[in-house]
Formats: sequence, C-alpha cells, structure tokens
Amino acid sequence: MPKRRDILAIVLIVLPWTLLITVWHQSAIAPLLAIRKACHHLVKEIFIIPETLAVRHHRLSDDGVEGKREAGGQAQDSKEYCASDKDIVEVVRTEYVYTRPPPWSDVLATIHIITPTYSRPVQKAELTRLANTFLHVPNLHWILVEDAQRRTPLVTRLLRETGLNYTHLNVETPKNYKLRGDTRDPRIPRGTMQRNLALRWLRETFNANSSQAGIVYFADDDNSYSLELFEEMRSTRKVSVWPVAFVGGLRYESPKVNAAGKVYGWKTVFDPHRPFAIDMAGFAINLRLILFKPQAYFKLRGVKGGYQESSLLRELVTLNDLEPKAANCTKILVWHTRTEKPVLVNEGKKGFTDPNVEI
Amino acid sequence: MATRMKLKLKTVFVLYFMVSLMGLIYALMQLGQRCDCTEHNMPKDRTISRLRGELHRFQEQLRKSEATKQPQKQPAKPTIFVITPTYARLVQKAELTRLSQTFLNVPQLHWIVVEDSPHKTPLVTDLLVKSGLTHTHLHMPTAKDRKLQEGDPSWLKPRGVEQRNEGLRWLREDRRAQPGGDNQQGVVYFADDDNTYSLQIFEEMRSTERVSVWPVGLVGGMKYERPVVEGGKVVRFHTGWRPSRPFPMDMAGFAVSLKLILANQEACFDGDAPMGFLESSLLQGLVTMDELEPKADNCSKVLVWHTRTEKPKMKREEALQAQGLGSDRAVEV
Repeated sequence: MPKRRDILAIVLIVLPWTLLITVWHQSAIAPLLAIRKACHHLVKEIFIIPETLAVRHHRLSDDGVEGKREAGGQAQDSKEYCASDKDIVEVVRTEYVYTRPPPWSDVLATIHIITPTYSRPVQKAELTRLANTFLHVPNLHWILVEDAQRRTPLVTRLLRETGLNYTHLNVETPKNYKLRGDTRDPRIPRGTMQRNLALRWLRETFNANSSQAGIVYFADDDNSYSLELFEEMRSTRKVSVWPVAFVGGLRYESPKVNAAGKVYGWKTVFDPHRPFAIDMAGFAINLRLILFKPQAYFKLRGVKGGYQESSLLRELVTLNDLEPKAANCTKILVWHTRTEKPVLVNEGKKGFTDPNVEI
Repeated sequence: MATRMKLKLKTVFVLYFMVSLMGLIYALMQLGQRCDCTEHNMPKDRTISRLRGELHRFQEQLRKSEATKQPQKQPAKPTIFVITPTYARLVQKAELTRLSQTFLNVPQLHWIVVEDSPHKTPLVTDLLVKSGLTHTHLHMPTAKDRKLQEGDPSWLKPRGVEQRNEGLRWLREDRRAQPGGDNQQGVVYFADDDNTYSLQIFEEMRSTERVSVWPVGLVGGMKYERPVVEGGKVVRFHTGWRPSRPFPMDMAGFAVSLKLILANQEACFDGDAPMGFLESSLLQGLVTMDELEPKADNCSKVLVWHTRTEKPKMKREEALQAQGLGSDRAVEV
C-alpha cells in the first residue's frame, strides 16, 4: 500500500542524515570549545606577568622598554586572537620555552630529543631520571610529546622544574590504534603519532636554509643513555647508527661494519633482512635531512612488527650513507631497559592512598 | 488521475533521493579535509611561545642581577654518603650509569658502591672512574646460603645486607681518621641501584639531625607508602603491609645522620630478621618513632620511587650461544 511504502521511504532517507549530523556535531564541537578556553587562559597569562616586571626592565637594558610596549599593545588583541577559531578539529597545544640553564655553547650542534610519553604510575619516575641525565648534555632541546587529549599538569610542572630547554606537545592516539590489553602486541606501533607530531613541529619551526645545526634523536622514556652517546651523535652528517643493548632478545643488536667503515648489514636474529634492522634508540638523523625531506614520517598503518624504524629511514637514506659511531659499532652506549609494572594490589578497588598526592 | 498522482510522487522521491545522495557526498568530502584547519592556529601559538620565551629571558636576567648583588659565602654543606649495594647482572651497567648521572647533579655527595663479589670487577671500576663522582669502591660477597638462587622470588631472602654493613664499617673506619671526631656533619643514605631519585630528596635529607623520613612511591603494593605526620611529628605509618613493624618503611625512605652512625658503632642491618624487618633492625637501636624528622613537606610529596627494571629477554641469545654463535663477549654490556 502506498502509505506504508511512503513511510518506509521517508525513514530510509531521514535515518542516514540524522546519523551524519550527530557524528558531525560530536567531532566538531568538543575540540572547538577546548581551544577557546585554553586560548584565553594562555593569552591572559602571557600579558599580565610582563607588566609587573616592566619597571625593572628599565634598569636592565633598553630591550626591556620595547618588550613592555609590545606586551601592552598586544593585550587588546587577545580577544581577537581567540575569537578567530573556526573549524579546528585537531587539538595541538605547544609551548616552546627557550631558556638556557644547562650548559650551552654556540659552537655545538643542538640535539633535539623526541620523547613520546603516556600516563602510568611510573611516568613521573621515568621522566625524572631522564631529566637528571639530560641536565649534563650541552645544547639539548627536549621535545616531549604526551599521548593525551590535553597536556597534563604533572608533566608541565616537571618540565618547568627541571630547567631544561623543552617543548611540550600532545596528541592523543585514537582508541582504535591504541594497544589492546597486551602491551607486547607488535602490530600497533606505539608512540608513532607523537613522534610524527614532533617531526612536524620541527619542520614548521626551523627553516631549511638556516645555519642552525641540529641532530634529531628518538629517546624513549624508559631506556638508559650514557653521556658519551650524545657526544657521538653530534657529528652526524646524515644518519648515524650504533649498537643497542637488550633488544631483539639478544645482549645487543648492532650494525655490521666492514673494514672501510661502511655499514653493510645488521647483526640481529629477528628479521635481519629488514631495510633497517635497528631499534629506535640506535640511530640519529641530521636536522637538515629532516627538513629537506618534508614528506618523511613514520608510517602509521600496515607496519609489520620491527619495521617502524625502516618506514622512516628508507625515505631518508640508503644503507651506504649510514655513519657508524661508538668505535665502529663496538661499544654499547645505550641500553633498552624496561621498567617493571609496579604491583599495586594493596590499593584495592577504592584506592588506599590519597589520590591527590602525585607520584 | 491515479497514475498522474503516482508519477508525481515517484519524481518527488527520486528528486529527494538524488539531493540526499549529493548532500552525503559533500559532507563526506568535508570530513576528509580536517588537517588544513589547524594551520592558521600555529602562528598564534608561535607568537605566544615567542613572548613566553622573552618573558623567561627577562626573568633570568632579573635572577642573575639579584644574585650578583649579594655574593653570599655559602657554609660548607654536609656531605651525603650514599651506600649502594650492587651485583653483576645484565642491566647492572645501565642501572649504575643512570644512577651516576643523577648523583652527578648533587653537590657534596660521596658514593660508596659495594659489590656482591669476591673481588672488584673492572666494569664497576671503570664506570666509577669515568663518572667523575667522589666515590669509594668496596666489595663483600654474600654467603652462599644467604644468596638468592636462580628462579627464587626477590623477597625470599634479604638482599644487600652484608654489602650495606660493609659500607657502614668502612665509613666508620674512614671517619675515625678525620678531624672533628664524632661531631662530623654528614648524612648516610641507602640507595638501591634500580630506584629513581629526584634531586630534591638529597636537599631534603641534608638537614638530618638524627633520622629523617619521607614517602616512597610505588612500594608495598601501593602507589606510595609514607609516614603520617601530625603536629610536625610522625605518629604512625601509612602502609599496606604489616603496619605493626617498628619501622614499616622502605630502605629508600629514610636517612641517618653521620653523627648517629658514629655514636652507635654496633648498629647495623640484621640479615636474620624476618622479611620486611630489615630497616627496623637498624633503626630500632638508633631512634624512636617520635624522634623521626619528617621531610618532603611533612611527608606529603613523593620524591623517590621504588622502580624495578625488567630482566631483559635473552631467548635468542641463549639459542645462539647453544650453537656457539653468541654475541661477542668482549663487548661490555
């Protein structure tokens, strides 16, 4: 009967539209709201503080006067800045604080260390001891990328207290890419989106033609690094490599170096025929190479276990261009240690300890 | 009449369908273009960051100018003597390396490393020399029946007892020869090689008069264990396991002043104490609970974590070694 058919037809047409509209609203509105608030807060913070220091600026130098004027003039623009948000879907907040406390020399190349991190009980401990190590490395710039929807106060405070040069970024891995229960599932590469974001930040911040020398190194937050490693990687021209301990089920994995000082293979048991059978901690890339090849990123999908590093390196270098370090790859300067997951049985279901105390 | 009606309805439906389809395609294409939208957000961010950078630079200049105005002569800080027992295993060099990197940031620190070995190993010797720290290298093997065997759970037998006692013995002997006698300033801390220490904890413990205490993270099956402080004094301990112990805390949660160690020449760790009573076996003879000095903001901040490092998987290495193709033993790991 026509009436029933009509109703059926109308339902069939209306249903997909309602679905579409609800999905659209969810994905578009939420990040937009977050940005508005964060933007206002950030702008307020920046422009209030300089006012109080303005008087002392006069005593210090002439630059101070300009700084005050600039700060005052732009205070009114804050509303304009924040109101002009339109269709922002991805939330990326950056804070690049360029102070100089740990040793700095104008001659050495800057080492940009990219560390992805995520929230878990040992996070603060890992980042603390990593920071204690980095305090000894001159010209170090730490790019810490959190796997979170917004930057956590724990990491923000930690970074500020260390006194290091840092950039704090964040991007959340969508749930369908996150590890499902088993932490050893190699099919889903961890930290990929975070590392890619850091690469993108580097490409946007640094000009390919600038003379600023830089080295990029991917350092996970649970590994152990010797101070010698950072000095070895500073002389990288394209991509340098070295052995890494405790990976691939061996005491150490290392590149095979021939008498001429060139890399010709990989001393590993796990799939030594990978284009680059090396761990994330086993290589460093010259910043210029990253900037010259702006399309090179870690592959996110369809990457077999152990091929993550190859997905980036094959777009940058060939085996012949690799520079072996650490005495022709015979010394161990970095250990792929892993921290045990702490046993928290006594916390019980409701939590025994005060949740306000940060660990 | 009926057919004309039908035709009209049909066209209406077809029209509606086409419009919906086109709208759907348009919407899908919109969704696909997310990434470009963030671009115009970046310059704003960068202005903010640049201004922040300038702000911090001014703050730094301020701090520097204030520091040069008042050049104070700092009195000599009390030395912190850190006693670390260690034993040979795969991750030993990695652990000691990152521990030495933390200690390198702490002024006036003397690292006493005691190996569980019948003689000093070249690995530890070289590491200590290269670290640039003030150090003492000792060794004391554990008796066979007290040693943990392969496959034993870590809590079965007390670990590091002989080594810590050896450290105390050396310290007492060394300090006896120093001027000042028993009134010397100093703090003794027992630091295991796999824990994580923040730099603040060392500054907190420097002012220890007798025994100071603070919370320890990730220990005792909980997020943290700590002494409970009321009115500036420790009244009890917040712990999930056997709170009836005289001093239910971890080795990393207290420090003893050098004066107390020198005044009590017989005080040391008792290897025969039941599980979890190791710390109490030392502290019982030295101090009572109300004499304890709470640090870390009245024991409300976690500045040291009882982390443990996983044993690295060596399946492939063992398989290779069975074939005689193991990795080069000359390469130190």
